[in-house]
Amino acid sequence: MGYVALELLLTGCIAFVLVRAKTSPRPAGLRGRIRACGWGLVLLPAAVMGAAMAGGARPLAAIEPVLAVILVLGAPRLAAKLAPYAVLGLALEGLILAKNYHTGFFGQVLYGLVPAGYNSGALGTRLVLPEAVLFFVFGVWLLLRVNAPGARPVRALIGRWRDPGRGGITPVWGLLLLPVTAMALLLLGPRYWFAMPKSELSTIVLLDVVIATASLVLVFRSRVWAAIVAEAGLLVLGTYGLAIAEFWPSVPGFVYGLMPLDVTHHASSGGALQGTALLGLGLWLAPRVMREYLTPGADPELAARAQRLTERVQTLTQSRSSAVDTAAAELRRIERDLHDGAQARMVAVGMSLQAAERLFASNPQAALALVAEAKESSSRALTELRDLVRGIYPPVLADRGLGDAIRALALDTPLPVTVDADLPDRVELPVASAVYFSVAEALANVVKHAEARLVHIDLSHRGGVLRAEVTDNGAGGADAAGGTGLAGVERRLAAFDGILAVSSPPGGPTIVVIEVPCASSSAKTSTC
Amino acid sequence: MRIVIGEDLYLLRDGLVRLLTAHGFEIAAAVGTAPELLEALTTERPDVGIVDVRLPPTHTDDGLRAAIQARKQVPGLPVLVLSQYVEQLYARELLADQAGGVGYLLKDRVFNDEAFTAAIRSVAAGGTVLDPDVVQKLMVRRSRSEPVSRLTPREREVLGLMAEGRSNAAIAQRLFITEKAVSKHAAGIFGKLDLAPSDDDNRRVLAVLAYLET
Repeated sequence: MGYVALELLLTGCIAFVLVRAKTSPRPAGLRGRIRACGWGLVLLPAAVMGAAMAGGARPLAAIEPVLAVILVLGAPRLAAKLAPYAVLGLALEGLILAKNYHTGFFGQVLYGLVPAGYNSGALGTRLVLPEAVLFFVFGVWLLLRVNAPGARPVRALIGRWRDPGRGGITPVWGLLLLPVTAMALLLLGPRYWFAMPKSELSTIVLLDVVIATASLVLVFRSRVWAAIVAEAGLLVLGTYGLAIAEFWPSVPGFVYGLMPLDVTHHASSGGALQGTALLGLGLWLAPRVMREYLTPGADPELAARAQRLTERVQTLTQSRSSAVDTAAAELRRIERDLHDGAQARMVAVGMSLQAAERLFASNPQAALALVAEAKESSSRALTELRDLVRGIYPPVLADRGLGDAIRALALDTPLPVTVDADLPDRVELPVASAVYFSVAEALANVVKHAEARLVHIDLSHRGGVLRAEVTDNGAGGADAAGGTGLAGVERRLAAFDGILAVSSPPGGPTIVVIEVPCASSSAKTSTC
Repeated sequence: MRIVIGEDLYLLRDGLVRLLTAHGFEIAAAVGTAPELLEALTTERPDVGIVDVRLPPTHTDDGLRAAIQARKQVPGLPVLVLSQYVEQLYARELLADQAGGVGYLLKDRVFNDEAFTAAIRSVAAGGTVLDPDVVQKLMVRRSRSEPVSRLTPREREVLGLMAEGRSNAAIAQRLFITEKAVSKHAAGIFGKLDLAPSDDDNRRVLAVLAYLET
């Protein structure tokens, strides 16, 4: 009688779904259709598993997968809402199965991945309960994920301890992964999964070591991720402990926490106590772990990176504004030099020539003198323009590159200067210019202040860094903070992420080091 | 006197041609790029090549390189290098072959055509004419190296004027001393720089070179 009602219900459902499927728009392509099905797809393996589990015990079992396919294709949203309940149902069946395993309850042929039933091997008896626990955890998660009916109270329950109040966890909690791993290995380690005899102890130990090493690596690589994994382990192990207490003696495992599972009279109470403790710790820790995970700065590496990036942004902001200021001041200086210098002289030249033109017929002598004056003025204008160009961009630097430009600079210095240059063929012009003027300033300081008899300049390029070292054997005692010249050099170099360092003990020698990275973050200064 | 001109700016090239023609020089070729210049210098074999440092194709120091290359192929080929700026570095490179017949002047020296044509003749005769700007920088350098440091201030002064390509008579006039005194200073300079007696022009070139090399 019951079966007839059920069949009528099923037929009604199928008809409803088919009608619905005809009227609703269909997404194109296989991929689009699969995506549209979403979490409802979980219903398919769940139904297959349910059917396989029931075996011959339930006549209508074979209908379950068919119904699932129709639901998933016809009403994917409904399927998705049903999926968590299907999974939770499987978990419940697993728990019942574990409790009544030896009585052959329902006569199951398969539970999850393992054959079950009276005649199945030891593997089945071992894995039913862990599988059921996993199904339960997955079912609850899916319930929240698809927001199925009933999710709200569960969420409210979780919401109570979602906000940990103050503070998260410290990274030290990542160390928790080590005892959790040890406990998992002792309870259901590889020796259990593979049902290995003691003669294969070396393989067992090897697998144990691999798993333990993996968790150690995780602890060292990222404490936060270690804490997250440990948290998951705590939840599963705690739930398992409660299951031990309830379903004894059909639970698998060797040692649960402090207690061997084959000590019958301790198993129940030990499982309940320890399981409750572990689950409690897991529940207490969960929101804190989540918060750490969601908050940047939890990971010391991340925190250090954030710190570095913040400092970098500050440095770049400063150097950019000073580069802009320097460039503007430089343009202003050039404009003024041209205005007061060459431009004024050219005006004078024009005026002299114009006067000469007027006097040409009447007073050739005076006209000649004016032409000579014009010639003199134009010569001065040329000299001034030449000096100006040198200050903007030394022609020898454009012609020959940094090495020869520094050599030319050394030759023009009224001191014996030796130069060692080991540079790539072409240093990018802006970088070369910055280094050139920095070295020029350092040399000018030596000439002015150091009372040196010998200067050595060393130019090198190693590890993506262009380095210039100016060493003199003078009096020493130079102070980078003291003069405005070196401060200007620092600003000039800052635009290229370059640095200036001065070592000048009293009595000398003074060493000025200039370093500019050729492979910096900016594309503009990326290559030398 | 036959002259080859290498200058890329048409106005300046044309101006040079007119100036030199007016002073009775013969222009064998006037070209605008470094390869053409090298070709003209080595085939025409002029009495003097007048060369701009910065020439196409790269617009860096192609003219200078062409001049040095031409002097490698034709040793002692007199060249007068003109530039908007002067560097001791380039002067040293030009003089390095010790063959003489080298001039290195700022372009504005052309304004003074007396001095400019004198410089051309001096270079053609195998002398050395360095721009006063280069020499001035040489003078301020405190040399520590032997044997130049042994020169007296007066001898250094005479050597500087020699580097500018001035004759003993011109130096005497400039320093308000007799020509004989200049000869004495010159002998002192050659002696201190260990320059063996040979023809006077060559010793002058070597003395200037020694000065530059310090």
